Amino acid sequence: MTVTVERGGRGGGRIVEAHHRAKSPRRPRDSYALFLLPGALAFLAIVIVPFLMNTGVSFTEWQGVGSPKWAGLANYRELMDDAEFWASFRHSLFMVLAMAAVPTLLGLVLAAALFDFVGKHFGSRTAAVLRACFYLPQVLPIAVAGIVWSWILAPDNGSLNELLKAIGLGSLQQDWLGDPDIALYTVMGVMVWVQLGFPLVIFMAGLQRVDPQLYEAAELDGAGWWRRFWHVTLPQIRPEIYVVLLWCTIAALKVFGAVYVLTKGGPGGATNVPSYFSFTTFFEKTQVGYGAAISTVLTVIILVLALVGLKLQTRAEDAEQGVVR
Amino acid sequence: MLTARSRVMAAAAAVVSTTLLLASCGDSDSGSSDGKTLKLWHYEGPDSAMAVAWNAAIKEFEKTHPGVKVKFEEKGFEQIQKTAPMVLNSNDAPDLMEYNKGNATAGHLSQQGLLTDLSAEVTERGWDKKLSAGVRTTSQYDAKGVMGSGKWYGIPNYAEYTMVFYNKDLFAKYKIAEPKTFDELTAAMDTFVDEGITPLANAGAEYMAQQYLYQLALSKADRAWVDSYELYKGKSDFHDAAWTYGAETFADWVKKGYISKKSTGTKAEDAGVSFMQGKSPILFSGSWWYGRFAAENKFDWGTFLWPGSNMTLGSGGNLWVVPKGAKNKELAYDFIDITMSKKIQNLLGNKGGVPVAADPAAITDPQAKGLIADFNTLSERDGLAFYPDWPAPGFYDVLVSETQKLITGSAKPDAYLDAVQSAYDKGVRDQ
Repeated sequence: MTVTVERGGRGGGRIVEAHHRAKSPRRPRDSYALFLLPGALAFLAIVIVPFLMNTGVSFTEWQGVGSPKWAGLANYRELMDDAEFWASFRHSLFMVLAMAAVPTLLGLVLAAALFDFVGKHFGSRTAAVLRACFYLPQVLPIAVAGIVWSWILAPDNGSLNELLKAIGLGSLQQDWLGDPDIALYTVMGVMVWVQLGFPLVIFMAGLQRVDPQLYEAAELDGAGWWRRFWHVTLPQIRPEIYVVLLWCTIAALKVFGAVYVLTKGGPGGATNVPSYFSFTTFFEKTQVGYGAAISTVLTVIILVLALVGLKLQTRAEDAEQGVVR
Repeated sequence: MLTARSRVMAAAAAVVSTTLLLASCGDSDSGSSDGKTLKLWHYEGPDSAMAVAWNAAIKEFEKTHPGVKVKFEEKGFEQIQKTAPMVLNSNDAPDLMEYNKGNATAGHLSQQGLLTDLSAEVTERGWDKKLSAGVRTTSQYDAKGVMGSGKWYGIPNYAEYTMVFYNKDLFAKYKIAEPKTFDELTAAMDTFVDEGITPLANAGAEYMAQQYLYQLALSKADRAWVDSYELYKGKSDFHDAAWTYGAETFADWVKKGYISKKSTGTKAEDAGVSFMQGKSPILFSGSWWYGRFAAENKFDWGTFLWPGSNMTLGSGGNLWVVPKGAKNKELAYDFIDITMSKKIQNLLGNKGGVPVAADPAAITDPQAKGLIADFNTLSERDGLAFYPDWPAPGFYDVLVSETQKLITGSAKPDAYLDAVQSAYDKGVRDQ
């Protein structure tokens, strides 16, 4: 099959299958549409319709049962002045750091180290085992991981504090999840552990498709490990980096399970995040209208971030391929 | 353009997909209204006194109702708490369900018209005569969903109250006698602190911490104060003498080391385990721990009511409620009737529960006798003061969060009382 890239023109750059075009007058997307239909319907039923319903509810005052009362923008006005809501969003930014930025950076370094060093010196099987170990937290249900971590981090007799005492660092013992000054950082640490495996696996898969000749050429030119990483690895796996950053940022903005199991937003609201705040507003306070307003704002923010991320990714890929849109 | 064939296929796919989606969104069980099935939900742990008693009640029910099957589904407390309004508003509602009592829970559902008014059955079957005034409070709700008066929307089969659980072996080891007064209790705690032991098991991340504070406030309160707070029969001022004493004493106890600063993030289970492992000599909590301590404690232990206080936390237990949409209401009433029978009530009492209609002579277990005697003492002096989180939906989380700040010292008692007052006023207003 011949694949060509059309540049410019009325429709902009697009990939067309020249062979198919010559053989059949029907455009490929006509036959694909049928396959997309069930997915599109499911998307409509379980994402779009509930989102629109949720948005509708956010303009009401409602306790979840009985008749909702129209409240206009009152919930959104209340949201703007709600210190707890803004605090939860500030915590979300810390979660983005812990679940997107740090795992991406660490994942890059670890993936390169496993691929370049461990794989070459200890064999690909060793690298695969280590990769699986890093990925394990992704497979564990967050409820299980959270309970285990709450044992490890328990102030009295928790393994971490016991370990610190055993190695003579007793002065570093902390009430990891109970001290409002450090609880958020502790949850962030757990989330780095949870999240690290995902970028690592994606980056290692990305590294396998990089042409080894590029590395050989760079090596022949006298480039050291760092230069090869910077000038070959990073540009080559840029699409994977975009995907990982986008995916992890969205995961960070809607993080819920870990906060629910580890701290329930405490102590004193120190680890509250928008999704947990929304959950308690819905189910504890039964302020469904207000909870819906929180969810709507959260969804819009995630949507905007996702669209911006996708746009940036497409632009970068186009620039790389020389496609003009 | 799609060809005609493609359009037909697309339309067929759309119809199939939509049908599947709608089927998945629709009700999975339309229930039975044939009078042959009693659909029953409760969330008591399988080893608890209540579950043992109710399992016996199920057997009794099936014996007395030949051909009727009890379809029991075990649920979690949180599960029912969070989803009850939605479930009760659907076709999936059971015929009989255990539900949490109080204004923000059963009261809220009754106000929304989701529960059956049981008043006629209560009179006809004589359930009202079996329940004492304190226990009955949580069964009746007025048109605004406030407990204490109005129609009957639930029946409790047991009661619960808080008490001081103490490790007799540890008290003996440090030559401390069982405290009879509040001063003796604090003196005992001083001795433990001097020995490097944190005396009180506490859980800042869950209900336990707020219950310590509420108990301290209750020691300076009376029935009118409780009625103002829980039944809105007056204005609750969180800067009054009782609340101020509660908050200041609680903060002081953290400073003195009676309560660990490290208990901010711990859960009730951690506190219970700490007591069971003999690490904390004292735990103040509810009768729901009793059966477990009886089964698992490896040391000699005892209980006493909070000294120096006429009132303590407690109420009728969780309620049997009959959803408005229940399909077999008569069967549900029959089941409640069986759980109120002497046979089942006596079993509940002997298994470490607090029955509401048992025959005192039939309770043979000595520890169970003591537990029930203390409840009777409380009942006679009208000492059940309910729970601090009941007055408004979401107030539980506020109390957890604010009490955590009091433990860490990030909020002073005055700021704590301000924050709680503001949340209480808003919660009550929004109800």
